[in-house]
Amino acid sequence: MFKPLRSAGGERSAAHLQVLADEELMQLVYRGNADAFEVVYDRHVDAAFSLALRICRQRSVAEDVVQEAFLSLWRSGARYDHNRGSVRTWTLGIVHNRAIDALRRRAVRERGVVADEGIAERVPARERTELEFARRDEAREIREALGQLPQEQSRVIELAYFGGLTHTEIASMLDMPIGTVKGRMRLGLEKMRAALGPVGEVTA
Amino acid sequence: MNGERRHAGCGEDAAPYVLGALSEQEARAFEQHVQGCAACREELDSLQGVASALPAAVTQRTAPAELRDRVLGTVRAEAKLRTAGEGRARPERERRGARRWQLTLGGLAAAAVVVLLALALAGGSGTSTRVIRAQTRAGTLASLRLTGASGQLVIASMPPSPPGHVYEVWVQRAGIARPTDALFSVTRAGRATVGVPGSLAGASAVMVTAEPDGGSAQPTSAPVIVARL
Repeated sequence: MFKPLRSAGGERSAAHLQVLADEELMQLVYRGNADAFEVVYDRHVDAAFSLALRICRQRSVAEDVVQEAFLSLWRSGARYDHNRGSVRTWTLGIVHNRAIDALRRRAVRERGVVADEGIAERVPARERTELEFARRDEAREIREALGQLPQEQSRVIELAYFGGLTHTEIASMLDMPIGTVKGRMRLGLEKMRAALGPVGEVTA
Repeated sequence: MNGERRHAGCGEDAAPYVLGALSEQEARAFEQHVQGCAACREELDSLQGVASALPAAVTQRTAPAELRDRVLGTVRAEAKLRTAGEGRARPERERRGARRWQLTLGGLAAAAVVVLLALALAGGSGTSTRVIRAQTRAGTLASLRLTGASGQLVIASMPPSPPGHVYEVWVQRAGIARPTDALFSVTRAGRATVGVPGSLAGASAVMVTAEPDGGSAQPTSAPVIVARL
């Protein structure tokens, strides 16, 4: 009774989909192509899960966050706008927002501790393609750029981005004026930008 | 007011904004400010790139395979139903099936344990949201939020769908339950928020059943959630 799943441009094999760029896949996802969604999922789920786990620090919460984020991507593929960044950035932005929401909702954060050493499972992510090697290089550069910041700057950035704290919360936690917190965020990000050069985003 | 006020510390808010460290209100104000301030817009663009690279700095891990099964299971089910939904004309046989099921539902309603409760939140106008407590099976807690003609099922607790099954949302009009393309599974905590596709104008109930993966064109099991409008 169900019609076979159709995709734009006729039949596309799974292998064919693998070579498409994310932006092209999103066009198919928008039309309800589950195979295309699967490719997008596989490309970005590890990064999404890693980010969610870093923020939520609980495996089950991180899984819920990633599930909700990808289902919203599937159901609202129409809202992806390529002018506003890559599919990966967009996806990770959704994951970030939902993870922070979950963190605030469930109050699982432990104030002041942002390292992820406490999490038992540490599984090296799959590294399959040249693209992923490129991403690893990029990740190393970003970790280095963050690591080279004065601690006072990296701390406010991590508390905000990974800890979900507002500038007001950070100011009262570190007992310093709000202006100082904002200033350190800005200095830190600007230094990172200088260290990274033009942020060459790796796209699929 | 925001438009008139010159941004106090121009350029100061771009960094906290891209890090998500502004309050909701401050973030909206900054977004508005940026429209008319070239300096802040430039700052925002340059810092946004750095902030969006931050996820790459975390230790990379492999997402669990069960998560993949859950997400792709739901997506495949929804895709199948979307495709089926394209051929809208439903054979008479199916419609009779839907009516027959309606009798079963009547039985459930008669035996219902939970009393339906409709709360009108806030007085009056068309944009207010009504929260309708749904009749449910034991162990399930759900409500339907109705804003105008659009509805959202908010499930606070529900057991996972049986293996090989997903939950499917149905909208009943004139005694006939019609499938929607909303198929869902609940989170580990038993929660889900599901937008009911389409307008609920003229609908008499929103229901949820467990259906085999891929969803069904007509219900194959008794509803686990019934929210009467």
